[in-house]
Amino acid sequence: MRRVEHVMGFPVSLRLDDQDVPTAAVDVVFDWLHEVDERFSPFKPGSEVSRHGRGELARHELSAELVEVLDLCEHYREATGGAFDVRLPGRGFDPCAVVKGWSVQRGAQLLRASGARRFCLNAGGDVVVSGGPWRAGVRHPEHADQLCTVLELTDAAVATSARYERGDHIIDGRTGRPATALLSVTVVAATLTEADSVATAAFAMGAAGIEWAASQAGCEVFAVDAGGQVLRTAGFPVAGEEPEQSAAVA
Amino acid sequence: MKRAIPVVAFSIVGLISVWRYEPSLGPAESTVTTAPTPSASSSAGSASAKVVKGATITTEKGPVQVQVTFDGDEITAVKLLQQPNHPQTKAAVPKLVAATLQAQSADVDTVTGATITSEAYKESLQAALDAKGA
Repeated sequence: MRRVEHVMGFPVSLRLDDQDVPTAAVDVVFDWLHEVDERFSPFKPGSEVSRHGRGELARHELSAELVEVLDLCEHYREATGGAFDVRLPGRGFDPCAVVKGWSVQRGAQLLRASGARRFCLNAGGDVVVSGGPWRAGVRHPEHADQLCTVLELTDAAVATSARYERGDHIIDGRTGRPATALLSVTVVAATLTEADSVATAAFAMGAAGIEWAASQAGCEVFAVDAGGQVLRTAGFPVAGEEPEQSAAVA
Repeated sequence: MKRAIPVVAFSIVGLISVWRYEPSLGPAESTVTTAPTPSASSSAGSASAKVVKGATITTEKGPVQVQVTFDGDEITAVKLLQQPNHPQTKAAVPKLVAATLQAQSADVDTVTGATITSEAYKESLQAALDAKGA
């Protein structure tokens, strides 16, 4: 079965191939994502994130889920030397970059807990697959109707950060200016929590973000710099290629 | 005597490129035994280019030795000549492959890309895939 719903301002497409998994299991996933939108959107004044951003909720008053998100944000802020920062001056607290991958990964885990084995969950371009082989195309950074490579994935997550959809929305926290050194960064990891956070953080870092992402344990990277040059890890799972043993998975 | 300098320089450059292509899949740790440490030598190309090898440091994970290439005062390359065969160290030294950006269309199940808006979705490849399978 397939279902598409729009949550958090982007489309979420689910393809589930297991015939024996009830529709209710799919409802649980979308219900969870709608709940995340209510609780973690910085655009809803009453959300937990907005209230925390305004200083109305101290850390000890936060839900366990938001504490988990904050810890992830802090981990990547430190790991990128401040390039990735969800508390930019004049912009308010906006943890969307982490919330998206984290919440969709949890949605995938809810599906697995319901007995789903073969599915593909695509949340606005960030993907979790289970029970592959699955063929995932990477959108070409300059041509919306073309791909620049195709991945073959079994049980994995893949996320891409770029400027071509939402413009200069990723800010290098070290300079306060938009990150523009890369056209796109695609990261494959075991979970979408890692893949999405690492892709966004690498994009914020600029050219140095490619090696940084490649050095993150378990991450495979495909990056296109501003000059159109591709740099990827040897273990990036391109369909039809025998993947080399990669440094990152060793 | 003057002619000897470029010859020596080219042999060093040649040796470096051999090291660069040393396969990373070897089961044992990589070792370079020839060089006295630390040592410096000028290389071909730029008159101010200089390759400097650091001393071999023994860590709890194994021996580590770095080589730094300077162009004047600027570092242009850093290379690990020796590194322990340990996952943590391997992860810190990613192997990147350069390629040309290609545009292709292919049969795929899904598409990854920058976060697409619900508006832009209508025109997207993913929307076409969703519609195809519905």
